[in-house]
Amino acid sequence: MRWMWIDRVVELVPRQKLVAIKNVSLAEEHLHDHFAATPTRPALPIMPASLILEGMAQTAGLLVGHAGGFQENVVLAKVGNAEWSREVVPGMTIRYTANMIQYDETGSSTRGVVEARDSGSDAPFVQIGSIDIMFSHAGHAMDLKGLGQNIPSHNFVFGEAFKTLLRTSGVS
Amino acid sequence: MFWLVGLNVLSKYEPFCRSGGKASGTAYCPPMHFSLVDKVIEQAEGRIVTIKNVTAAEEYLQDHFPTFPVLPGVMMLESMVQAARRLAESSSEAPTQVPLVLGRVRALKYGRFVQPGDTIRIEVELGKRNGDEWDFKGSVVMATPEREVAASGRFILRPARV
Amino acid sequence: MTRDEILSKVRTVLVDALAVDDEDVTPDASLTKDLGAESIDFLDIQFKLEQAFGFKIAQGEMFPEDLLKNPEFVKEGKVTPAGMAQLRLRLPHVNFATFESDPQAAKLGQMFTVDAIVTFVANKLKK
Repeated sequence: MRWMWIDRVVELVPRQKLVAIKNVSLAEEHLHDHFAATPTRPALPIMPASLILEGMAQTAGLLVGHAGGFQENVVLAKVGNAEWSREVVPGMTIRYTANMIQYDETGSSTRGVVEARDSGSDAPFVQIGSIDIMFSHAGHAMDLKGLGQNIPSHNFVFGEAFKTLLRTSGVS
Repeated sequence: MFWLVGLNVLSKYEPFCRSGGKASGTAYCPPMHFSLVDKVIEQAEGRIVTIKNVTAAEEYLQDHFPTFPVLPGVMMLESMVQAARRLAESSSEAPTQVPLVLGRVRALKYGRFVQPGDTIRIEVELGKRNGDEWDFKGSVVMATPEREVAASGRFILRPARV
Repeated sequence: MTRDEILSKVRTVLVDALAVDDEDVTPDASLTKDLGAESIDFLDIQFKLEQAFGFKIAQGEMFPEDLLKNPEFVKEGKVTPAGMAQLRLRLPHVNFATFESDPQAAKLGQMFTVDAIVTFVANKLKK
């Protein structure tokens, strides 16, 4: 399993909004376990909601990272509220829209909408969920507990994979 | 007597298998690549504690991140979901025709990074059941004496809607 | 806005940010000890208060994170007398009486009660 949960950035309004899509395919290994057939029911491949959450985290993380010129380590800190009303299965395309709500040196807060539709169709995207995510800008994050950890000082979040994604999506 | 004690110890460390149907009585072990539960440590009415080892052999860690591999936060969430599902599905009130899936997350916070070589303890408690919604509180803590919290939050499992 | 009206709005913010119940948010409830707030929650609360009341909160104005990083004010995990003076000056909305006998920086978070937040908002709205 690789760790890239969005396929293409389709819109970017710097510091405001980023829209990305992800195709869901039976070629993805984990779908064979989620869920495999059991004695009481047949196989039911469903995209795990936790990975839908990651898709939104990557969408929102890119928006926040881009706002800071990719200088900071943008780290998932809190999921305030996230809900999904129906499942996503292979042959569907997910569209993630992340909106910037607040941004300062120590962290940021985003509000996201998750939509889906049958792939390869002109059908409109239908909303299936909403996800609110907060990031801490590691190194700046306030830490009243004084927990220290060996966090590297270089930017470890935005590596080659994200750069390639932005380039192939036609985003500077 | 002795072998009874042995069995009791062994059952604490059974691999993640589910008994296949109420009548059959045969253990069923589904393919488990996407498994974030390595061992069940405790299981009682409304509470379950499991263990997950984090190892560099997990390929996705090479992407997250190439120069600083850490367990993705959503994998901590998924480990809580899988532990909760195990707890719920051991109840006679769980649906059998569809799996229980994650429907909602609230106040999920991350406290520290978890790295290859670390072992995490996943502790999940069933709060309340509202119709077909199962409301859980969970935390992921380091399996060390200090039990530092890596993640904690509330979430709801409900039958899959396909 | 009356103190009660402020408390009501603050309660909504805290229930939303901390996923606690309305009845848990009593005036003397500590954000960290009683309501489970952690560092990221403090930022979340700050953002949500800004949206609820329409004012801007500067970094360190409500919660003293910059102060805690200053070696003049925190030595070996304990807040120094100079640090205590700064805390009292910068955070008039917090009651430090019980903190002074054992000024562990790690325990500072416990001093932030719901009441302290309400006082902070009341002070800001007066300006």
